[in-house]
Amino acid sequence: MGLARYVALRVGWAAVVSLIIVTVTFGLLAAAPNPSVQQAATQAALEGGNPQEAVERERQLRGLDEPLHVRYLDFLQGVYTLEWGWSEYRSQPVTTALFDAVSYTAQYSIPWTILTVLLGPLIGVYSAANMYTWRDHAATGFAFFGYAIPNFFFGIILLLVFGVWLEWIPIVYRTEVPTFSLANARQLVIPVFVLVTGSIGAIMRVSRNESAAFQNATFMKTAKAKGVSPLRAYAYHVMRPTLVPLSTTLVGQLLAIFLGSSLLVEVVFGIPGLGRLTFNALVAQDTNLVLGSTLLFTFLAVVGNLLEDLAFTVLDPRISYDDRDL
Amino acid sequence: MSTDTDPSAETDAPRFDKVDWEACAGDRGARLSLNTKLFVLTVAPILALAGYDWYAVGARETTFGALAAATNLQGPFDTLGLDFAIATVDYAFAVTLLLFVWYLVAPLYQHPRITAYYWRRFRRNRPALVSLAWLLVVFGGGLLGPLVLNAPEQNVLAGHQPPVGLSVADANVAECVGEVTDGRCAGTWKYPLGTTRGGLGVFKGVVYGMTISMKIAFITTTLVAGVGITVGTVSAYAGGWVDEVAMRAVDIVLSFPTLLFFLLVLYVYGAGLGMFIVVFSIFGWGGTARYVRSKALSVSEEEFVKAGRLSGATTRRIVRRHVVPNTASSIITQLTLLIPGFLLAEAQLAFLGLGDSSIASWGQLIAAGRSDLTFAPWIVLAPGLVLFLTILAFNFLGDALLDAVDPEATTEADR
Amino acid sequence: MTDEPLLAVEGLRTTFETDSGELVAVDGIDFTVERGETVCLVGESGSGKTVAVESLTGLLDQPPGRIEGSVRLHGEDLTDLSARALRRHRGASIAYVFQNPQDALNHCYTVGWQLVEAIRVHEDVTKAAARARAINLLDTVGIPEPASRIDEYPHQFSGGEKQRVMIAMALVTRPDLLVADEPTTALDVTIQAGILRLLDDLKAEYGMGVLFVTHDLATVSQIADRVVVLYAGTVMERGTVLDVFERPSHPYTRELLACLPGHESGLDGGARGGIAGSLPDPTDLPNGCRFAPRCAYAEAACSAGDQPAEVDLADGHTVSCIHYEPGDGPSVLPAPADSAAEAGESGTPPTGDTG
Repeated sequence: MGLARYVALRVGWAAVVSLIIVTVTFGLLAAAPNPSVQQAATQAALEGGNPQEAVERERQLRGLDEPLHVRYLDFLQGVYTLEWGWSEYRSQPVTTALFDAVSYTAQYSIPWTILTVLLGPLIGVYSAANMYTWRDHAATGFAFFGYAIPNFFFGIILLLVFGVWLEWIPIVYRTEVPTFSLANARQLVIPVFVLVTGSIGAIMRVSRNESAAFQNATFMKTAKAKGVSPLRAYAYHVMRPTLVPLSTTLVGQLLAIFLGSSLLVEVVFGIPGLGRLTFNALVAQDTNLVLGSTLLFTFLAVVGNLLEDLAFTVLDPRISYDDRDL
Repeated sequence: MSTDTDPSAETDAPRFDKVDWEACAGDRGARLSLNTKLFVLTVAPILALAGYDWYAVGARETTFGALAAATNLQGPFDTLGLDFAIATVDYAFAVTLLLFVWYLVAPLYQHPRITAYYWRRFRRNRPALVSLAWLLVVFGGGLLGPLVLNAPEQNVLAGHQPPVGLSVADANVAECVGEVTDGRCAGTWKYPLGTTRGGLGVFKGVVYGMTISMKIAFITTTLVAGVGITVGTVSAYAGGWVDEVAMRAVDIVLSFPTLLFFLLVLYVYGAGLGMFIVVFSIFGWGGTARYVRSKALSVSEEEFVKAGRLSGATTRRIVRRHVVPNTASSIITQLTLLIPGFLLAEAQLAFLGLGDSSIASWGQLIAAGRSDLTFAPWIVLAPGLVLFLTILAFNFLGDALLDAVDPEATTEADR
Repeated sequence: MTDEPLLAVEGLRTTFETDSGELVAVDGIDFTVERGETVCLVGESGSGKTVAVESLTGLLDQPPGRIEGSVRLHGEDLTDLSARALRRHRGASIAYVFQNPQDALNHCYTVGWQLVEAIRVHEDVTKAAARARAINLLDTVGIPEPASRIDEYPHQFSGGEKQRVMIAMALVTRPDLLVADEPTTALDVTIQAGILRLLDDLKAEYGMGVLFVTHDLATVSQIADRVVVLYAGTVMERGTVLDVFERPSHPYTRELLACLPGHESGLDGGARGGIAGSLPDPTDLPNGCRFAPRCAYAEAACSAGDQPAEVDLADGHTVSCIHYEPGDGPSVLPAPADSAAEAGESGTPPTGDTG
């Protein structure tokens, strides 16, 4: 089939998936009662006016009286021209609000991703190489701990210990701090730590199990017989094959944690990032912003999955593009 | 095996391609297994009660109250303490519990040899044994707790009491239930784990939280298993475009940013326990479907299945007798590993304020205690630790099951 | 040329610690390999041949394994060396070709990458120079269009080709000793001959010694100069290929030969069904001669004491059996005891030549 065609098909499918998700989101929000309409009705009732008329007027004002499919198409058009509407809650265009929030989210998620991707497989391979020794048990124990402890709980405890009792880190997140400063690092250290301990566990377990199988493979014996040093053997001959199955879950796991934990971590630590923005938008029933956020998250998820598929393809030379799932 | 090559011989030598399967196995056609019969037997009264509840009991009556009135058995019902209402979730819980008992636990007794084999291998993993013990405690607490303990109640005067054995500055407490020595209020056994701001006993809260967790775990997993296994096996066996479509659907379900959608749906439609369960189930079956499908495909490639086909066995027989037993254990393991995710999600949503505050789940307790963290950390710590330990236990259990049951498996669902 | 043989193994003893006790896989064997000769290590599966050759360069995991004895390469004792020093010999002085080429190559890297690695681990050459050598060697082992195929992945090669690649990888550093552990067992019969011929040619061209492990006597008769017959970790008989095939002395050797279709064993000539019984439990070895429980000539004395010391029959032909005195010929063996006939009919499953 060829790599190019496979990529094209995958990208096409990704576009379809995002369209579906976006449509579902639109549907959900359209089905929910609109707050401003309800407000108008309530107000009219309180003032002794006709609630029904007030509702009609409000709906006309908001363009909610258009037939559903017209609204949908308008919405779609807006999405693809990057005119994502106006956010009531933030009094900004949705895109601006999102962009602001993303920059804060990026400040902790990028270090978090890099650390997880680097450390996870390494610890896993190290664990497999020392299988069943105390080192292995310690690493596995640490992985399980990090994986199991709810991020928000862990975050709260650490804030208590390091922020309130020991006063080593600030309790309140300050946005004025310049991005690349020590102060910023100090206030981000615990959130990143909490996220890393959460994600590394899963990655490390998969990496450990996969490399355990590979370290006993015949080709390892060949490498040893060739005179390859153990370090090189692990670094090249075990690590590389391990990345293959690992890549099928790495991105997915990271994404899942990102989409879920980012919100909670931001709430606990007070970081005005994407997760918190979405949550606040929901609470304020700011439809446009919620839609915009959902779109962004969806695109991230879809792109992530796509990257994962492609990585898998590239990493394992045995795979032919023809006989594999799209 | 016949060695007679004399063509004139009229002997009807047995040939493997002419086996009469129905005769061999007896007429198993429409017969149900023993387990199914027992299940139907025990589930019928529950469904009957549910039907009665739905149709005949009014919104303001309790289930048993109405039943007692209708049958004039108020006296006995009162002594038995049967005066509460039963929610839909409870019915669902009862049904899934029965499914669990008759289809998972009973078969273990009915096949002692393989159970002993699995148990021997499982036993080697000590953390898993401890986890199993802990989970049994949680399970027992969840089932029996509400029957033994009364529901935790608010009592503003008894707010912020410390746990037994600890003490806090008396100034922090409105009124100290225990003794006050040196200006410090001591904890008492009345509230072994202290109280929340509203005077709710944390210990009772944790126990009642076990019930909620059990309900979520059982019901959601059953639903996810049902949908996932069905889609997975149908997809694997039908193949062709059915398979394609199903896997595309799974792709889509898996691409949803789940927490976000939980938020969306719960916000729009309200957040009760039942809603949680429904939402988790809708978004949670994708991974299982994929896993089951890949397992089913790989088993069908096994030589013994091909041998079965060559001998003339029908697909149904192969699926029932060969595919299901071989994949069941792996699927169960995979499902075990889903449960901590659900519990965590519920806690997260409760923490965000989206839960139903009338349900005393662990997440709710943590959320309630967050603002008082600096001077009353036990409100957050107790349920938090219990949640952590339970999630940890499920993970250890699942991992150990994986080792005992399917040692060559890898831990991710995609293969 | 010194008098030192290329490889001199003395008292090699390899044991493993297992849950059921100490497992003795190789129990004090000696043999030598000279430059330019092929020595075949013969025995059934489980006789310890693979463990023996992997012990030479410490390829086994050392706990739970334990290697004792001396392994001298050009006079230098390998067992005395540190791990790092030993690694310098692996691949460079002693190279291996394993049985199953299927998984012996890493599926993530091209064949060229793996060949170049074999060179550059030992020698300080540029990638280009190493690559050129690799292409050359692929050509020598008979891979067509080596210059383009060097960049292909292992899964793009057939089984026979993979084994040729393995041979190339073993030879790319011009080793002194090539250890081949059943290199043709996993291949089609039609390909086997080609591989064997290749090995023979290369041996001559490179002037190597070859230690060839196999259970297949037919192969042995084709390529061996000398033969060492192993059973349950000890040497039963050794000699030149002529000695062993024409004058098989040890009862085990005779049984092995009798399993070859059409071979006259000198006992009752004609095919037998196989050798009754099975190898002794390596964690609980019997007293006396290891083969006694299955031997048609066993007497009470055979099961007492230790494995009989090797007796010199002729120049370099020795046998470990109490029925022989130095200088005896094979006709010395008494008629088989009655138990032989019963053993053959008793229905104990005969061992086959499964790899």
